[in-house]
Amino acid sequence: MIRRNFLVGAAALTAFLGANDALAQFVPSRPIDLVVHSGPGAGPDAFGRALIAAIEAEKLSPVRIQINHKIGGGGATAASYIVEKKGDPYTIGLFTSAWVANPLVQADMKATVKEMTPVVRLVIEPAVFAVKADSPYKSMMEIVDAAKKDPTKIKQSGGSPLARDAIVRHVLMSNTGARWAFVSFPTGSERIAALLGGHVDMMIIEPSEAGELIRGGQMRALAQVSDRRLSTFPDVPTLREAGFNVPNVPQARGFVAPPDMPRDAVAFYEQMFEKMVKSPTWQKYLSDNQFEDAFLKSPETGKFFDEYANLMRGILTGAGIKVVR
Amino acid sequence: MEVLAGLSHGFGIALQPMNLLWCLAGCVLGTLVGIMPGLGPAAAIAMLMPVTFSMDPTGGIIMLSGIYYGAKYGGSTTSILLNIPGEASSVASCIDGHQMAKKGRAGAALGIAAIASFVAGTFGVVLLTLVAPPIARFALSFSSPEYFALLSLGLALVVLFAGESPLKAALAMLVGLWFTSVGIDLFSAQARFTFGQSALLNGIDFMIVAIGVFAVAEVLGSMQERTDMQLMDVPRGIRNLLPSWEELKACRFAFVNGSLTGFLVGVLPGAGSSISSFIAYAFEKLFSKHPERFGHGAPEGLAAPEAANNADTSGALVPMLTLGLPGGGTTAILLSALVLWGLKPGPMLMQDSPNVFWGLVASMYIGNLMLLLLNLPLVPLFAQALRVPAYVLFPMILGISVVGVFGVAQSMFHIGLLAGFGLLGYAMARLGFPGAPLILGFVLGDGMERALRQSLQMSGGDLGILVSRPIAAGLLIAAVLVLLMPLIGRFNRWRLRSIAENE
Amino acid sequence: MIQRAVRDSDVIAGSVLAALGVFIINEANKWEYTGFDGPGPGFFPLWYGLAITLLSLWLVIGRLVTLKRQPDTTIDWPGVRRALGTWAIFALSVAVMPWLGFALSFALMSFVMIRVLFAQSTRTALLSALGLATGFYALFPLLLDVPLPVGRLGF
Repeated sequence: MIRRNFLVGAAALTAFLGANDALAQFVPSRPIDLVVHSGPGAGPDAFGRALIAAIEAEKLSPVRIQINHKIGGGGATAASYIVEKKGDPYTIGLFTSAWVANPLVQADMKATVKEMTPVVRLVIEPAVFAVKADSPYKSMMEIVDAAKKDPTKIKQSGGSPLARDAIVRHVLMSNTGARWAFVSFPTGSERIAALLGGHVDMMIIEPSEAGELIRGGQMRALAQVSDRRLSTFPDVPTLREAGFNVPNVPQARGFVAPPDMPRDAVAFYEQMFEKMVKSPTWQKYLSDNQFEDAFLKSPETGKFFDEYANLMRGILTGAGIKVVR
Repeated sequence: MEVLAGLSHGFGIALQPMNLLWCLAGCVLGTLVGIMPGLGPAAAIAMLMPVTFSMDPTGGIIMLSGIYYGAKYGGSTTSILLNIPGEASSVASCIDGHQMAKKGRAGAALGIAAIASFVAGTFGVVLLTLVAPPIARFALSFSSPEYFALLSLGLALVVLFAGESPLKAALAMLVGLWFTSVGIDLFSAQARFTFGQSALLNGIDFMIVAIGVFAVAEVLGSMQERTDMQLMDVPRGIRNLLPSWEELKACRFAFVNGSLTGFLVGVLPGAGSSISSFIAYAFEKLFSKHPERFGHGAPEGLAAPEAANNADTSGALVPMLTLGLPGGGTTAILLSALVLWGLKPGPMLMQDSPNVFWGLVASMYIGNLMLLLLNLPLVPLFAQALRVPAYVLFPMILGISVVGVFGVAQSMFHIGLLAGFGLLGYAMARLGFPGAPLILGFVLGDGMERALRQSLQMSGGDLGILVSRPIAAGLLIAAVLVLLMPLIGRFNRWRLRSIAENE
Repeated sequence: MIQRAVRDSDVIAGSVLAALGVFIINEANKWEYTGFDGPGPGFFPLWYGLAITLLSLWLVIGRLVTLKRQPDTTIDWPGVRRALGTWAIFALSVAVMPWLGFALSFALMSFVMIRVLFAQSTRTALLSALGLATGFYALFPLLLDVPLPVGRLGF
């Protein structure tokens, strides 16, 4: 009897140890393919490079990580590529919030994050409302009031109507009842040029892009689109502090993987990135670029996708944009 | 003058042996990258960035910039010899450059391209050194209404490409406008003309249209016309391998025109380098005493766009270095390289890091000279490429076209598109529809629609914004004048004839 | 006269373009013409679609009017057949590329072209095709790290 219990216990213990060993077992032996949806030099590519630099500096990966550009369709090409690589433990995709939002509106997109394996969420990018340095507006409230009086007066430069700056505008407009024009430019430099040239009144811009121009005295930040004040903008109120009770629209970045990625591979990446975010190299990168550390592991990242998709559905429908899934 | 002080300081840095070496490395790599279609300077710079991480930032940016402007030198080689644009900004060079090669003047064409690039490159750096901050301010006053007017002027210049049938030219241009609408509309996220294909969501890349309509269609056309063994005559003797004095004299105006146009258009954020080369070409034809020579091997028709695409690089560096705003794809990567080195490009760069700033500017003078000395002696070597018999050359051209398209789009679907555009280009040539207006419509149409909609967004729907601003109004008037020119010409001839009849 | 009209290149081209124009207008009508934020995605396409339709009809009608006076241009049929044959071989090689990969498809295309269209000997065709394919493969993916389409066979 004791012997049988002992055997059962030993078998269970072995199985448990064996399973744990299997979980820690995935060690990559080939270069890792990091898929980004932009071309070289643009935001996701630059983020990916900084990330690889941090991992290499801290020696967290036994193999090389290389960037694979899959440009097109607001992430559609990258998404299709990742979904095709079903089961492959060597491919990971650098997602931005657009990967969750775009499929809600584009019926032509065949592959979406819902099919992929969430891996980790890394950062949330805050942003600021900025005006030209010599602008007469000293606070967000002033601009919103001016917009309420005359809907044709205020202009905001931004990107695609699904991007964060357009969404925040919709949220603010529906919250305050004001209206103002939105002028779309495909690249960040055109948006900034429009602002600096006096052709638009304000824009929403990331601190990494804005920092130098604000430091150089060409732009001024009026409010922050984030939950807490950033260390480099201690005097700039958050939207909530400025009197607007609006939900924060998080611009997140992190990693997804092809569908059916083996559990041990996911665990490998989770552990690698967890070590990375704690490292001094990464912490310095975060503070240099004013990113908010928002590390989440795989299951929580999946939940984040669902919450974000629901938030976006509500906002998009309220803004009159047709939602298809 | 602080500019001269800065510049001499910069030369002191740029002339250090290590930095000279990095400059040479960048220039050589850039030239090679420019020659290969499908491998653009942006991709090459991105590939080499990890290598430069451990380098000193000054040397690193010198090398990466060398790749950037070096590529403009190399881009003309395949354009002239094979009618395959090496780079988006080399498409305009195909038009007269390849025709010159067909007439046995391949060596002269390659030489003119190198010289034009040198003159414009140097000119551009001088302008960058002297007028960067005021030019940057000027660029900021240029926004969507001015863009719309500029691009309208560009499309009005289509009239100059009319050739025999303005009707067919207009139709070709409109079809180009249609092709450029394919994809997701920026303003509304509405997918247009994508036929349910996710591969088309990002639109059709300009290089695919250009390579198809130029290179592939040319092969098909040549197959129809002759079955000779050789594509074209190989120039023999030194006299034929270098440009003659007459040819160089004819290009005098082109050098200046191309440099100025390229620099000014390059400064505008958002204006691609293909736009500046086409506008320079069109201006050259507009002000030429012999416009009928264009399209048939006019040296100035090659010199103008070649100069423009080189001056464009200096122009694009102006907003990058003075405001931290990249002018286009390649400057965006250069910017991210600077950021990764811990530098902060922007208004403070000149003050915070004078070594990097002035070292870079000084090295550009040196780099342009290096490239001229590199490229001129290579001309006879490249011209020998034409010795290859047609039965090897034509499949090779088709192969290079596929490689080029795959390098740009990485999708078999787009290679299929290439085949389609090749057939279209061939059909157009047979049916008497000129190809240049199609390309022009494609290049300018997208920007024009965007600029118009942005302008109307700015003005709340009021079209008056397009004429109430001085620069925009001026350019629009110029566009109208260009459109009226053929009519004025005809009116003049009628008037002169009636005067002669009455005497 | 109608027979001649139907075979005339300008008439055919004009008709195809007119059909394209109508298609564009049709699609443009499905999208928003003007929205709150300015002209919508349907704005530009509607106008150039209209322009294409009108101009191509003008082309067709203009040609029909002059058809009696102007003789048709002679077409170099053997030459056109050569050109279209070249295109067909090219298009076929593109079609099989997803399965065979670049190197094989390109080699096949070159071989057929050189043997059939350029009427070279089988030996020349074979050698040239293999030489070209190997050269491309050595230069681009191996030496320069530029990706080429890869087929089911792995290269």
